[in-house]
Amino acid sequence: MLVLDGVSVVRGDTTVLDDVSATLAPGRCTAVAGPSGAGKSTLLRLLDRLLEPTSGQVLFHGSPLPSYDVLELRRRVGLVQQAPVLLGDTVLADLRVGRRALTPDEASELLVRAGLEGMPLDRGTASLSGGEAQRLCLARALAVGPEVLLLDEPTSALDAVAALAVERVVLSLIADGLTAVLVSHDLRQARRLADDVVVLRAGRVVETGPASASEYLASAS
Amino acid sequence: MLAATQTAGPSVPTWVGVGASVLLVGVCVAVVVREQLGLGREVVVAAVRAIIQLVAVGALLGLLFTHTGLPGSLLWVAGMVAVGARVAGRRGRGVPNASWVAAAAIAVGVTGTLGLLVLAQVVNAEPRVVVPVGGMVVAAATRGTSVVLLRLAEESVVSRRLIEARLALGLPSGEAFAPHRRTALRTALVTDIDAVKTVGLISLPGAMTGLLLAGVAPLTAIRYQVVVMYMILSAVAVSGLVAARLGTRQLFDDAERLQEPASLAA
Repeated sequence: MLVLDGVSVVRGDTTVLDDVSATLAPGRCTAVAGPSGAGKSTLLRLLDRLLEPTSGQVLFHGSPLPSYDVLELRRRVGLVQQAPVLLGDTVLADLRVGRRALTPDEASELLVRAGLEGMPLDRGTASLSGGEAQRLCLARALAVGPEVLLLDEPTSALDAVAALAVERVVLSLIADGLTAVLVSHDLRQARRLADDVVVLRAGRVVETGPASASEYLASAS
Repeated sequence: MLAATQTAGPSVPTWVGVGASVLLVGVCVAVVVREQLGLGREVVVAAVRAIIQLVAVGALLGLLFTHTGLPGSLLWVAGMVAVGARVAGRRGRGVPNASWVAAAAIAVGVTGTLGLLVLAQVVNAEPRVVVPVGGMVVAAATRGTSVVLLRLAEESVVSRRLIEARLALGLPSGEAFAPHRRTALRTALVTDIDAVKTVGLISLPGAMTGLLLAGVAPLTAIRYQVVVMYMILSAVAVSGLVAARLGTRQLFDDAERLQEPASLAA
């Protein structure tokens, strides 16, 4: 579904990604793992065209990303950031940022998918806990109907209980067939959630394959 | 030639009076020296520069009013726009191409405001009106443009995560940045709205002061001041709006990506 073909990103004198090639299969969750500064988040931003590669290309359904209308592409490839970023004053307003015509019924369905069933749509977003806010961000990303969900360390800013709640939502979305790309520094979490893994070190791919067989992920236990 | 025009017109100091006012510079120098502030030389330089600059500007305006007519005055205003663009462009250098954005914003604000006043015959299209009134409009437009560009640059850095969260939902850059653009414009406008609210209460504004010194009756002088205050509102709003719109475009590339932060203006 998403293919990185010899992608490099150079910023000034620093090579952030160096000739990275990887295939992110449809209907599966691929973890992008590696130590801090390995280029994981940079790789994720490339997939949403929030960043352009210095060389190489990213393909989506076989076509280079620049061949798609960028706004349409971002609706098909959703992104959930590291710390929750709320954009509306109320739950409904937040869900409608990417889809103005969202009905209250559709909004309530999204909240169920994000594990927030029963949350009032008129609730102020300022009163949400970190875990609730991050699940609302997930629901908001789902509101525009993405085929792929990019998750940039979605639980790193949360406590253990809130992180587990978010994980459960991500697992159910993957079980429903959504393609996911997960950047995580938590190797145990990557093993729990991911089918495949791409391990980066200093901007280079050092391991790819099934998460269950990954030596890097196994090093967590 | 150096005598003051003391007839029925304005009450203006004679050149002898101006010379006597040098004593006031002496007062400042005395304070500076007595308190050992190390600013004595600067005070003298400032005082000398002020008189040289003002004599030069006065002479130039005299030539302008008598020889070049309206075209020369408009050229003078255009020069002021260029200076204003340079000042505002520097202030907002965190926005790519800030100088060009500032030039366009100030030019549109000044042309629109001044043009409207002239077309509606609120002010006369003559050099001695166009130059000072144009100066006030350019100053207001420059102020508004500076604040907008500075705030745009700051917002693009401070609110990057919010902006990228909206972009990631497929919103076009204009929409993704809209709340921040409004914040910038609001900041630019509130200062002048406050100035309009308190006009006459805190200090007498410049145009009114000038007319009072020129012997105009207070209730007549305020008519000009009312026009000036409204003109400032319009200039700030129009220039600020143009700066906000054009500046926003500069912050994003063709792929609706927020540009990497440039160094913010001091």
